[in-house]
Amino acid sequence: MKFFTSFRKKSPWVLHYNAGSCNGCDIEILAALGPKFDLERFGVINTGNPKQSDIFLVTGPVTYRSRERLVELYSQIPEPKVVVAVGSCTATGGVFRGMYNVEDGIDRYIPVDVYVPGCAASPQLIIDALVKGLEVLEAKSKEIEKPFKLFGAIETIHNKLSRLGMAKKVEPHAKD
Amino acid sequence: MIWVWIALAPILGGLVYGGERVLRARMQRRQGPPLLQPFYDMFKLLDKRTLIVHAPHALLAVAHFFVLWFTIAAIFLGWNLLYIIFLHLFAQLLLIVAGYSVRSVYSHIGSNRELLMVVAYEPILILVAVGLYLVSGSFEISQILKMDGYLTQLPLLFAALLMIVPIKVKKSPFDVGEAHQEIVGGVEIEYSGVFYEFLYMSRFLEYIFIYSFVYLFGGESHWLGAVLVAGVFLLVNLVDNATARVRPAQMVKIIYTVAMALAVLNLAGVLL
Repeated sequence: MKFFTSFRKKSPWVLHYNAGSCNGCDIEILAALGPKFDLERFGVINTGNPKQSDIFLVTGPVTYRSRERLVELYSQIPEPKVVVAVGSCTATGGVFRGMYNVEDGIDRYIPVDVYVPGCAASPQLIIDALVKGLEVLEAKSKEIEKPFKLFGAIETIHNKLSRLGMAKKVEPHAKD
Repeated sequence: MIWVWIALAPILGGLVYGGERVLRARMQRRQGPPLLQPFYDMFKLLDKRTLIVHAPHALLAVAHFFVLWFTIAAIFLGWNLLYIIFLHLFAQLLLIVAGYSVRSVYSHIGSNRELLMVVAYEPILILVAVGLYLVSGSFEISQILKMDGYLTQLPLLFAALLMIVPIKVKKSPFDVGEAHQEIVGGVEIEYSGVFYEFLYMSRFLEYIFIYSFVYLFGGESHWLGAVLVAGVFLLVNLVDNATARVRPAQMVKIIYTVAMALAVLNLAGVLL
């Protein structure tokens, strides 16, 4: 309903996920939620539960171990939802770019709405990004949004069962 | 008139919850959310896509909310205190069954803890009812509110009630049932959208439920009741900001030794 849509931006609940980050950005997010920067004045609650959150705050380049959880968490958030990529790692891989166990950036797996630059991103920037994310959230419909890649299915590789897509790295960006 | 208050009970509770969030923010020297934040949250939850695990699970949350609302109505209408306590227990059991009905481990742990909380606070609530009966001679709330002098005769019992208020409103040190950092909300975990909203609103009603017990100690004087509620509200939030969470077993142990001893001592004093 149109009336309720205007309340989306007044109570964004946040899910914070660390996809292999060095913890720098996570500390900055906690600082933004803490008393000094006080994100709660925008109605933000750090729920920690995907089923009740609106904004997905991801930090870190996606490591092999974390990508399945990343996609799973993303698909468990009910629409409308917004993904905010915090820190350089989430955008390009940052200092971890090109490492053997790292996917360069989360946008290979899930659609990202707002990127926050910085290593580590400062709390002021995170607040700005959240406020930007609220504009996106208000404009979104309740259409189902899918991740680019799903790990739900099972495939057989070398006569062994494996989650679909887990055995090989996704194609690198066109111009690397 | 009383029916209007009953109909407005969730809104009243929402205002209390919003005020509490502002108060806690001010205690931590920050601005905090607006007073109407719980209502913004509710309107937003109406606009979210709802994921349902299975129908009984969703329905039990709705049942929990309406039984709780009925309990509040019974309080406002001045019914029997014991009846109200057991009605509230029934609402709580619906929530616990809902927690066990899904396969999420956190939901099961949440239900276990919810049961432990019931085990901890239920005897104290009944002892409070018995204490009020011993002084006023009736279990009816309408009769209890006509008498006076509960606080002078039942000070230790009031202290015992003070100890179980944090359990009921899920505040530190006794917020084991919710425990967001360990079990991500416990029984709430599998709810989303509209059905989570019912649990969110039942939280408002819990506030009214437990603070109306505090209010009863004011007796005939409405002012004393209001001052007691405001004082307990401040104290509970202060303790919440200043303490860490105890383990579930420790919670039961503390309530059974300290609060139970206080309550029994006071009742024995009244009887002898």
